[in-house]
Amino acid sequence: MSEAALLELRGIGKHFGRLAVLRGLDLDLHSGEIVGLIGANGAGKSTLLSIIAGLMPPSRGQRTFAGSEGVGRDERARFAVVSHTAQTYPRLTALENLELFAKLRAQAGGHNEALRPTLDRLGLGYAADRQAGTFSRGMLQRLALARALLGRPEMLLLDEPFTALDRPGRTLLATVLAQERDRGAAILLISHDLEALVSVADRVVLLEGGVIAGDVARAPGGDTFAERVRSLAGRMPAVGAEAHA
Amino acid sequence: MVALRQAWLLAVNDLRQEARDLELVLTSTFFSLVVLIMLGMSFSALGISAQPLAVPGMLWLSVAFVGALTLGRIFTREREFDTLRALLVAPVERVSIYLAKAFVTIVILLGCCLITVLGLTLLFPAAQPFAERPLETFALVLMGCTAYAGVGTLFAAGLASSSGKNVLLSVILYPLTMPSLLFALVATRSLLEGHESFLTYLGQLTATNVIAFVVGAWLFEPVLVGVPQQRRGAARAARRRR
Repeated sequence: MSEAALLELRGIGKHFGRLAVLRGLDLDLHSGEIVGLIGANGAGKSTLLSIIAGLMPPSRGQRTFAGSEGVGRDERARFAVVSHTAQTYPRLTALENLELFAKLRAQAGGHNEALRPTLDRLGLGYAADRQAGTFSRGMLQRLALARALLGRPEMLLLDEPFTALDRPGRTLLATVLAQERDRGAAILLISHDLEALVSVADRVVLLEGGVIAGDVARAPGGDTFAERVRSLAGRMPAVGAEAHA
Repeated sequence: MVALRQAWLLAVNDLRQEARDLELVLTSTFFSLVVLIMLGMSFSALGISAQPLAVPGMLWLSVAFVGALTLGRIFTREREFDTLRALLVAPVERVSIYLAKAFVTIVILLGCCLITVLGLTLLFPAAQPFAERPLETFALVLMGCTAYAGVGTLFAAGLASSSGKNVLLSVILYPLTMPSLLFALVATRSLLEGHESFLTYLGQLTATNVIAFVVGAWLFEPVLVGVPQQRRGAARAARRRR
Protein backbone atom coordinates (compact mmCIF):
# COMPACT_ATOMS: atom_id res chain seq x y z
CA MET A 1 0.00 0.00 0.00
CA SER A 2 1.53 3.24 -1.05
CA GLU A 3 -0.97 5.82 0.25
CA ALA A 4 -0.80 7.07 3.84
CA ALA A 5 -2.32 4.72 6.39
CA LEU A 6 -5.64 5.72 7.95
CA LEU A 7 -4.53 4.27 11.27
CA GLU A 8 -0.89 4.28 12.33
CA LEU A 9 0.33 2.65 15.51
CA ARG A 10 3.96 3.29 16.42
CA GLY A 11 5.72 1.76 19.40
CA ILE A 12 2.47 1.08 21.29
CA GLY A 13 3.14 -0.32 24.73
CA LYS A 14 0.69 -1.18 27.46
CA HIS A 15 1.38 -2.53 30.90
CA PHE A 16 -0.93 -3.28 33.80
CA GLY A 17 1.23 -2.89 36.86
CA ARG A 18 4.26 -5.09 36.16
CA LEU A 19 2.54 -7.10 33.44
CA ALA A 20 3.52 -5.84 29.98
CA VAL A 21 0.83 -6.79 27.46
CA LEU A 22 1.99 -4.76 24.46
CA ARG A 23 5.69 -4.04 23.94
CA GLY A 24 6.28 -1.47 21.21
CA LEU A 25 3.78 -2.60 18.61
CA ASP A 26 3.72 -1.08 15.08
CA LEU A 27 0.76 -1.50 12.74
CA ASP A 28 -0.73 0.34 9.75
CA LEU A 29 -4.30 0.07 8.55
CA HIS A 30 -5.22 1.50 5.16
CA SER A 31 -8.54 2.57 3.70
CA GLY A 32 -10.14 -0.19 1.65
CA GLU A 33 -8.47 -3.13 3.36
CA ILE A 34 -9.54 -5.76 5.85
CA VAL A 35 -6.83 -6.77 8.30
CA GLY A 36 -7.34 -9.85 10.43
CA LEU A 37 -5.66 -9.90 13.83
CA ILE A 38 -4.93 -13.27 15.39
CA GLY A 39 -3.15 -14.22 18.58
CA ALA A 40 -3.37 -16.57 21.53
CA ASN A 41 -5.72 -15.88 24.43
CA GLY A 42 -4.22 -13.10 26.53
CA ALA A 43 -1.95 -11.90 23.72
CA GLY A 44 -3.43 -8.40 24.03
CA LYS A 45 -5.77 -8.29 21.02
CA SER A 46 -8.70 -6.76 22.89
CA THR A 47 -6.36 -4.41 24.76
CA LEU A 48 -5.03 -3.22 21.42
CA LEU A 49 -8.57 -2.70 20.16
CA SER A 50 -9.42 -0.69 23.28
CA ILE A 51 -6.38 1.51 22.73
CA ILE A 52 -7.29 2.11 19.08
CA ALA A 53 -10.88 2.91 20.07
CA GLY A 54 -9.77 5.36 22.75
CA LEU A 55 -11.17 3.30 25.62
CA MET A 56 -7.77 2.98 27.19
CA PRO A 57 -4.65 5.14 26.86
CA PRO A 58 -1.42 3.36 25.83
CA SER A 59 1.43 3.37 28.34
CA ARG A 60 3.73 4.51 25.55
CA GLY A 61 3.77 4.97 21.80
CA GLN A 62 1.72 6.90 19.32
CA ARG A 63 -1.71 6.17 17.84
CA THR A 64 -2.68 8.30 14.85
CA PHE A 65 -6.07 8.05 13.16
CA ALA A 66 -6.66 10.14 10.02
CA GLY A 67 -3.73 12.35 10.97
CA SER A 68 -4.98 13.02 14.49
CA GLU A 69 -3.58 11.67 17.73
CA GLY A 70 -6.74 12.57 19.66
CA VAL A 71 -9.76 10.35 20.22
CA GLY A 72 -12.25 13.15 20.70
CA ARG A 73 -15.87 13.29 19.64
CA ASP A 74 -15.03 14.22 16.05
CA GLU A 75 -12.62 11.29 15.66
CA ARG A 76 -15.11 8.89 17.24
CA ALA A 77 -17.70 9.98 14.66
CA ARG A 78 -15.42 8.53 11.98
CA PHE A 79 -14.95 5.01 13.31
CA ALA A 80 -17.14 2.34 14.87
CA VAL A 81 -16.53 -0.64 17.12
CA VAL A 82 -18.34 -3.96 17.30
CA SER A 83 -17.37 -5.75 20.47
CA HIS A 84 -17.74 -9.43 21.32
CA THR A 85 -20.59 -8.38 23.61
CA ALA A 86 -23.54 -6.84 21.78
CA GLN A 87 -23.74 -3.69 23.92
CA THR A 88 -27.41 -3.06 23.22
CA TYR A 89 -30.17 -1.88 25.52
CA PRO A 90 -32.40 -4.93 26.16
CA ARG A 91 -35.55 -2.96 26.99
CA LEU A 92 -35.39 -0.92 23.80
CA THR A 93 -36.50 -2.27 20.44
CA ALA A 94 -33.94 -2.82 17.70
CA LEU A 95 -35.14 0.35 16.01
CA GLU A 96 -34.98 2.37 19.24
CA ASN A 97 -31.44 1.12 19.86
CA LEU A 98 -30.38 2.42 16.45
CA GLU A 99 -32.43 5.59 16.83
CA LEU A 100 -30.65 6.55 20.06
CA PHE A 101 -27.21 6.29 18.51
CA ALA A 102 -28.38 7.97 15.30
CA LYS A 103 -29.69 10.95 17.29
CA LEU A 104 -26.50 11.16 19.35
CA ARG A 105 -24.46 11.08 16.14
CA ALA A 106 -26.70 13.70 14.53
CA GLN A 107 -26.17 16.03 17.50
CA ALA A 108 -22.43 15.69 16.91
CA GLY A 109 -22.95 16.67 13.27
CA GLY A 110 -22.46 13.16 11.92
CA HIS A 111 -24.15 11.49 8.96
CA ASN A 112 -26.66 8.67 9.47
CA GLU A 113 -27.92 5.97 7.17
CA ALA A 114 -31.67 5.33 7.15
CA LEU A 115 -32.54 3.10 10.10
CA ARG A 116 -34.94 0.49 8.69
CA PRO A 117 -32.90 -0.17 5.53
CA THR A 118 -29.83 -0.65 7.74
CA LEU A 119 -31.73 -3.25 9.77
CA ASP A 120 -32.93 -4.85 6.52
CA ARG A 121 -29.35 -5.01 5.29
CA LEU A 122 -28.42 -7.07 8.35
CA GLY A 123 -31.50 -9.26 8.03
CA LEU A 124 -33.25 -7.75 11.06
CA GLY A 125 -36.00 -5.80 9.33
CA TYR A 126 -38.65 -8.27 10.56
CA ALA A 127 -37.56 -7.74 14.18
CA ALA A 128 -37.22 -3.95 14.10
CA ASP A 129 -39.97 -3.39 16.66
CA ARG A 130 -39.02 -6.21 19.01
CA GLN A 131 -37.15 -5.49 22.23
CA ALA A 132 -33.47 -6.40 21.94
CA GLY A 133 -33.78 -8.42 25.16
CA THR A 134 -35.75 -11.04 23.22
CA PHE A 135 -33.03 -11.44 20.56
CA SER A 136 -30.71 -14.43 20.18
CA ARG A 137 -26.96 -13.80 20.45
CA GLY A 138 -26.59 -13.90 16.70
CA MET A 139 -29.33 -11.32 16.23
CA LEU A 140 -27.75 -9.08 18.87
CA GLN A 141 -24.44 -9.37 17.06
CA ARG A 142 -26.09 -8.28 13.83
CA LEU A 143 -27.85 -5.43 15.64
CA ALA A 144 -24.48 -4.25 17.00
CA LEU A 145 -23.11 -4.33 13.46
CA ALA A 146 -26.12 -2.36 12.18
CA ARG A 147 -25.41 0.29 14.81
CA ALA A 148 -21.77 0.41 13.74
CA LEU A 149 -22.69 0.84 10.08
CA LEU A 150 -25.15 3.68 10.75
CA GLY A 151 -22.56 6.41 10.38
CA ARG A 152 -20.74 4.99 7.31
CA PRO A 153 -17.52 4.73 9.37
CA GLU A 154 -14.11 5.20 7.78
CA MET A 155 -12.74 2.55 10.11
CA LEU A 156 -14.49 -0.48 11.59
CA LEU A 157 -13.04 -2.36 14.55
CA LEU A 158 -14.56 -5.78 15.15
CA ASP A 159 -13.80 -8.12 18.05
CA GLU A 160 -14.86 -11.74 17.36
CA PRO A 161 -17.87 -10.77 15.22
CA PHE A 162 -18.35 -14.31 13.85
CA THR A 163 -18.64 -15.98 17.26
CA ALA A 164 -22.41 -16.07 17.73
CA LEU A 165 -23.41 -16.27 14.09
CA ASP A 166 -24.85 -19.27 12.28
CA ARG A 167 -23.71 -20.11 8.74
CA PRO A 168 -26.12 -17.72 6.95
CA GLY A 169 -25.17 -15.03 9.46
CA ARG A 170 -21.46 -15.57 8.75
CA THR A 171 -22.05 -15.36 5.03
CA LEU A 172 -24.05 -12.17 5.51
CA LEU A 173 -21.32 -10.66 7.71
CA ALA A 174 -18.62 -11.55 5.18
CA THR A 175 -20.68 -9.93 2.41
CA VAL A 176 -21.29 -6.77 4.45
CA LEU A 177 -17.61 -6.48 5.36
CA ALA A 178 -16.60 -6.87 1.73
CA GLN A 179 -19.10 -4.16 0.76
CA GLU A 180 -17.72 -1.85 3.43
CA ARG A 181 -14.15 -2.54 2.28
CA ASP A 182 -15.16 -1.79 -1.33
CA ARG A 183 -16.75 1.46 -0.15
CA GLY A 184 -13.32 2.43 1.22
CA ALA A 185 -13.59 1.58 4.90
CA ALA A 186 -10.56 0.26 6.76
CA ILE A 187 -11.48 -2.82 8.80
CA LEU A 188 -9.59 -4.43 11.66
CA LEU A 189 -11.02 -7.81 12.53
CA ILE A 190 -10.06 -9.86 15.56
CA SER A 191 -11.05 -13.49 15.24
CA HIS A 192 -9.98 -16.98 16.21
CA ASP A 193 -11.93 -18.31 13.23
CA LEU A 194 -9.22 -18.80 10.59
CA GLU A 195 -11.68 -20.02 7.96
CA ALA A 196 -13.75 -16.85 8.28
CA LEU A 197 -10.64 -14.65 8.34
CA VAL A 198 -9.21 -16.23 5.21
CA SER A 199 -12.50 -15.67 3.41
CA VAL A 200 -12.67 -11.92 4.09
CA ALA A 201 -9.26 -10.55 5.07
CA ASP A 202 -6.73 -8.97 2.72
CA ARG A 203 -4.00 -9.29 5.33
CA VAL A 204 -3.64 -11.27 8.54
CA VAL A 205 -1.25 -10.26 11.31
CA LEU A 206 -0.16 -12.26 14.33
CA LEU A 207 0.09 -10.59 17.72
CA GLU A 208 2.59 -12.43 19.90
CA GLY A 209 4.85 -11.31 22.73
CA GLY A 210 3.27 -7.86 22.64
CA VAL A 211 4.36 -7.08 19.07
CA ILE A 212 3.25 -7.92 15.53
CA ALA A 213 5.21 -11.14 15.02
CA GLY A 214 3.97 -12.01 11.54
CA ASP A 215 2.16 -10.40 8.63
CA VAL A 216 0.66 -12.29 5.68
CA ALA A 217 -0.95 -10.42 2.76
CA ARG A 218 -3.20 -11.79 0.04
CA ALA A 219 -1.20 -11.70 -3.18
CA PRO A 220 -3.00 -10.67 -6.38
CA GLY A 221 -4.16 -13.88 -7.99
CA GLY A 222 -2.27 -15.89 -5.37
CA ASP A 223 -3.92 -18.96 -3.92
CA THR A 224 -1.53 -19.74 -1.05
CA PHE A 225 -3.03 -17.11 1.26
CA ALA A 226 -5.03 -19.66 3.26
CA GLU A 227 -1.97 -21.90 3.71
CA ARG A 228 0.21 -18.98 4.77
CA VAL A 229 -2.40 -17.81 7.28
CA ARG A 230 -2.62 -21.34 8.75
CA SER A 231 1.15 -21.46 8.94
CA LEU A 232 1.16 -18.10 10.72
CA ALA A 233 -1.50 -19.31 13.15
CA GLY A 234 0.65 -22.40 13.77
CA ARG A 235 3.23 -20.13 15.38
CA MET A 236 0.85 -19.26 18.21
CA PRO A 237 1.90 -20.78 21.52
CA ALA A 238 -0.04 -23.83 22.69
CA VAL A 239 -2.72 -23.36 25.34
CA GLY A 240 -1.07 -22.63 28.67
CA ALA A 241 2.32 -21.93 27.12
CA GLU A 242 1.71 -18.17 27.02
CA ALA A 243 1.46 -18.14 30.81
CA HIS A 244 5.08 -19.33 31.01
CA ALA A 245 6.39 -17.05 28.28
CA MET B 1 -24.65 22.89 23.78
CA VAL B 2 -23.98 19.61 21.96
CA ALA B 3 -23.06 18.08 25.31
CA LEU B 4 -26.33 19.26 26.88
CA ARG B 5 -28.44 18.01 23.97
CA GLN B 6 -26.70 14.63 24.05
CA ALA B 7 -27.14 14.52 27.83
CA TRP B 8 -30.86 15.10 27.37
CA LEU B 9 -31.09 12.27 24.80
CA LEU B 10 -29.28 9.90 27.13
CA ALA B 11 -31.42 10.89 30.12
CA VAL B 12 -34.63 10.39 28.12
CA ASN B 13 -33.29 6.98 27.05
CA ASP B 14 -32.67 5.98 30.67
CA LEU B 15 -36.08 7.24 31.77
CA ARG B 16 -37.76 5.41 28.87
CA GLN B 17 -36.13 2.15 29.99
CA GLU B 18 -37.12 2.87 33.57
CA ALA B 19 -40.71 3.49 32.48
CA ARG B 20 -40.77 -0.01 30.96
CA ASP B 21 -39.73 -1.95 34.05
CA LEU B 22 -40.18 0.60 36.90
CA GLU B 23 -37.33 -1.12 38.71
CA LEU B 24 -35.87 1.97 40.36
CA VAL B 25 -39.21 3.68 40.90
CA LEU B 26 -40.68 0.69 42.75
CA THR B 27 -37.53 -0.02 44.76
CA SER B 28 -37.06 3.57 45.87
CA THR B 29 -40.79 4.10 46.58
CA PHE B 30 -41.11 1.07 48.80
CA PHE B 31 -37.79 1.76 50.45
CA SER B 32 -38.87 5.34 51.25
CA LEU B 33 -42.19 4.11 52.64
CA VAL B 34 -40.53 1.50 54.85
CA VAL B 35 -38.01 4.02 56.20
CA LEU B 36 -40.82 6.50 56.81
CA ILE B 37 -42.99 4.01 58.68
CA MET B 38 -40.10 2.73 60.79
CA LEU B 39 -38.84 6.19 61.69
CA GLY B 40 -42.39 7.44 62.26
CA MET B 41 -43.04 4.64 64.74
CA SER B 42 -39.67 5.06 66.42
CA PHE B 43 -39.94 8.82 66.90
CA SER B 44 -43.72 9.21 67.37
CA ALA B 45 -43.30 9.96 71.06
CA LEU B 46 -40.75 12.68 70.44
CA GLY B 47 -41.67 16.10 71.86
CA ILE B 48 -42.42 18.83 69.35
CA SER B 49 -39.36 20.83 70.43
CA ALA B 50 -37.06 17.90 69.64
CA GLN B 51 -38.67 17.09 66.28
CA PRO B 52 -36.78 19.73 64.23
CA LEU B 53 -33.61 17.90 65.29
CA ALA B 54 -34.85 14.50 64.11
CA VAL B 55 -36.91 15.29 60.97
CA PRO B 56 -33.97 16.53 58.83
CA GLY B 57 -32.04 13.37 59.68
CA MET B 58 -34.97 11.19 58.56
CA LEU B 59 -35.28 13.05 55.26
CA TRP B 60 -31.61 12.95 54.31
CA LEU B 61 -31.10 9.43 55.58
CA SER B 62 -33.73 8.32 53.06
CA VAL B 63 -31.98 10.30 50.32
CA ALA B 64 -28.61 8.76 51.21
CA PHE B 65 -29.92 5.19 51.04
CA VAL B 66 -32.15 5.62 47.99
CA GLY B 67 -29.31 7.50 46.28
CA ALA B 68 -26.87 4.63 46.81
CA LEU B 69 -29.47 2.16 45.51
CA THR B 70 -30.21 4.31 42.46
CA LEU B 71 -26.62 5.02 41.52
CA GLY B 72 -25.66 1.39 41.93
CA ARG B 73 -28.53 0.20 39.78
CA ILE B 74 -28.13 2.83 37.04
CA PHE B 75 -24.54 1.80 36.39
CA THR B 76 -25.10 -1.92 37.00
CA ARG B 77 -27.62 -1.76 34.17
CA GLU B 78 -24.93 -0.33 31.88
CA ARG B 79 -22.36 -2.85 33.09
CA GLU B 80 -24.63 -5.89 32.68
CA PHE B 81 -25.05 -5.24 28.97
CA ASP B 82 -21.74 -3.41 28.45
CA THR B 83 -23.61 -0.45 26.98
CA LEU B 84 -21.34 2.07 28.69
CA ARG B 85 -18.54 0.99 26.32
CA ALA B 86 -20.86 1.50 23.36
CA LEU B 87 -21.45 5.07 24.53
CA LEU B 88 -17.74 5.65 25.15
CA VAL B 89 -16.80 4.77 21.56
CA ALA B 90 -19.74 6.70 20.07
CA PRO B 91 -19.41 10.38 19.11
CA VAL B 92 -20.81 11.39 22.47
CA GLU B 93 -19.28 13.97 24.78
CA ARG B 94 -18.25 11.99 27.85
CA VAL B 95 -19.55 14.74 30.10
CA SER B 96 -23.02 14.12 28.58
CA ILE B 97 -23.03 10.64 30.10
CA TYR B 98 -22.20 12.14 33.49
CA LEU B 99 -24.90 14.80 33.23
CA ALA B 100 -27.52 12.28 32.03
CA LYS B 101 -26.86 9.82 34.85
CA ALA B 102 -26.84 12.62 37.42
CA PHE B 103 -30.14 13.94 36.03
CA VAL B 104 -31.85 10.54 36.25
CA THR B 105 -30.55 10.11 39.81
CA ILE B 106 -31.96 13.53 40.73
CA VAL B 107 -35.37 12.62 39.27
CA ILE B 108 -35.51 9.40 41.30
CA LEU B 109 -34.32 11.18 44.46
CA LEU B 110 -36.92 13.91 44.02
CA GLY B 111 -39.58 11.21 43.85
CA CYS B 112 -38.22 9.74 47.08
CA CYS B 113 -38.21 13.20 48.68
CA LEU B 114 -41.83 13.79 47.63
CA ILE B 115 -42.94 10.67 49.51
CA THR B 116 -40.72 11.34 52.51
CA VAL B 117 -41.58 15.03 52.87
CA LEU B 118 -45.32 14.34 52.56
CA GLY B 119 -45.04 11.52 55.09
CA LEU B 120 -42.99 13.58 57.55
CA THR B 121 -45.47 16.46 57.25
CA LEU B 122 -48.32 14.12 58.13
CA LEU B 123 -46.48 12.36 60.96
CA PHE B 124 -44.67 15.22 62.69
CA PRO B 125 -46.19 18.62 63.60
CA ALA B 126 -42.71 20.21 63.50
CA ALA B 127 -42.48 19.33 59.80
CA GLN B 128 -45.41 21.62 58.92
CA PRO B 129 -43.07 24.30 57.44
CA PHE B 130 -42.54 21.86 54.55
CA ALA B 131 -46.19 22.41 53.60
CA GLU B 132 -46.27 26.08 54.56
CA ARG B 133 -43.19 27.01 52.52
CA PRO B 134 -43.37 24.72 49.48
CA LEU B 135 -41.04 26.77 47.27
CA GLU B 136 -38.27 26.84 49.85
CA THR B 137 -38.83 23.13 50.52
CA PHE B 138 -38.58 22.33 46.82
CA ALA B 139 -35.41 24.43 46.45
CA LEU B 140 -33.91 22.68 49.47
CA VAL B 141 -34.59 19.11 48.31
CA LEU B 142 -33.57 19.98 44.74
CA MET B 143 -30.24 21.40 45.88
CA GLY B 144 -29.61 18.57 48.35
CA CYS B 145 -30.40 15.84 45.80
CA THR B 146 -28.34 17.60 43.12
CA ALA B 147 -25.30 17.81 45.38
CA TYR B 148 -25.63 14.12 46.25
CA ALA B 149 -26.02 13.11 42.60
CA GLY B 150 -23.14 15.33 41.47
CA VAL B 151 -20.66 13.57 43.74
CA GLY B 152 -22.20 10.10 43.60
CA THR B 153 -22.45 9.80 39.81
CA LEU B 154 -18.71 10.28 39.38
CA PHE B 155 -17.77 7.47 41.75
CA ALA B 156 -20.53 5.11 40.63
CA ALA B 157 -19.27 5.50 37.04
CA GLY B 158 -15.70 4.83 38.11
CA LEU B 159 -16.71 1.60 39.83
CA ALA B 160 -18.90 0.52 36.89
CA SER B 161 -16.07 0.95 34.40
CA SER B 162 -13.47 -0.80 36.53
CA SER B 163 -15.55 -3.91 37.29
CA GLY B 164 -15.74 -2.76 40.89
CA LYS B 165 -18.32 -4.24 43.18
CA ASN B 166 -21.41 -2.36 44.25
CA VAL B 167 -20.46 -2.81 47.88
CA LEU B 168 -17.52 -0.49 47.21
CA LEU B 169 -19.97 2.15 46.04
CA SER B 170 -21.48 2.45 49.50
CA VAL B 171 -18.05 2.40 51.15
CA ILE B 172 -16.88 5.27 48.95
CA LEU B 173 -20.16 7.09 48.46
CA TYR B 174 -21.25 7.76 52.03
CA PRO B 175 -18.04 9.48 53.22
CA LEU B 176 -17.82 11.56 50.05
CA THR B 177 -21.43 12.71 50.07
CA MET B 178 -21.34 13.45 53.80
CA PRO B 179 -20.45 17.18 53.39
CA SER B 180 -23.36 17.75 50.98
CA LEU B 181 -25.75 15.85 53.23
CA LEU B 182 -24.58 17.82 56.27
CA PHE B 183 -25.19 21.12 54.46
CA ALA B 184 -28.64 19.87 53.48
CA LEU B 185 -29.31 18.71 57.04
CA VAL B 186 -28.44 22.07 58.57
CA ALA B 187 -30.43 23.94 55.92
CA THR B 188 -33.48 21.74 56.59
CA ARG B 189 -33.28 22.35 60.31
CA SER B 190 -33.11 26.11 59.78
CA LEU B 191 -36.15 25.86 57.46
CA LEU B 192 -38.12 23.96 60.08
CA GLU B 193 -37.11 26.36 62.86
CA GLY B 194 -37.83 29.40 60.69
CA HIS B 195 -34.33 30.83 60.91
CA GLU B 196 -33.36 33.66 58.59
CA SER B 197 -30.10 31.82 57.98
CA PHE B 198 -31.98 29.31 55.77
CA LEU B 199 -31.16 31.26 52.61
CA THR B 200 -27.49 31.44 53.60
CA TYR B 201 -27.42 27.67 54.07
CA LEU B 202 -29.25 27.20 50.78
CA GLY B 203 -26.64 29.40 49.10
CA GLN B 204 -23.87 27.28 50.57
CA LEU B 205 -25.60 24.14 49.35
CA THR B 206 -25.85 25.67 45.87
CA ALA B 207 -22.13 26.49 45.96
CA THR B 208 -21.46 22.87 46.95
CA ASN B 209 -23.48 21.83 43.89
CA VAL B 210 -21.45 24.01 41.57
CA ILE B 211 -18.19 22.60 42.95
CA ALA B 212 -19.49 19.00 42.80
CA PHE B 213 -20.59 19.34 39.17
CA VAL B 214 -17.48 21.20 37.97
CA VAL B 215 -15.19 18.62 39.59
CA GLY B 216 -17.42 15.73 38.47
CA ALA B 217 -17.55 16.91 34.85
CA TRP B 218 -13.79 17.53 34.85
CA LEU B 219 -12.87 14.13 36.31
CA PHE B 220 -15.51 11.98 34.61
CA GLU B 221 -13.53 11.18 31.46
CA PRO B 222 -10.24 10.38 33.25
CA VAL B 223 -12.15 8.20 35.72
CA LEU B 224 -13.78 6.24 32.88
CA VAL B 225 -11.00 5.88 30.32
CA GLY B 226 -7.80 6.99 32.07
CA VAL B 227 -5.45 9.86 31.35
CA PRO B 228 -3.69 9.86 27.95
CA GLN B 229 0.04 9.49 28.23
CA GLN B 230 0.67 12.85 26.48
CA ARG B 231 -1.32 14.64 29.17
CA ARG B 232 0.50 12.73 31.92
CA GLY B 233 3.81 13.66 30.29
CA ALA B 234 2.79 17.31 30.06
CA ALA B 235 1.78 17.32 33.73
CA ARG B 236 5.13 15.76 34.72
CA ALA B 237 7.01 18.34 32.61
CA ALA B 238 5.06 21.18 34.24
CA ARG B 239 5.94 19.82 37.71
CA ARG B 240 9.65 19.60 36.73
CA ARG B 241 9.59 23.21 35.46
CA ARG B 242 8.14 24.36 38.78
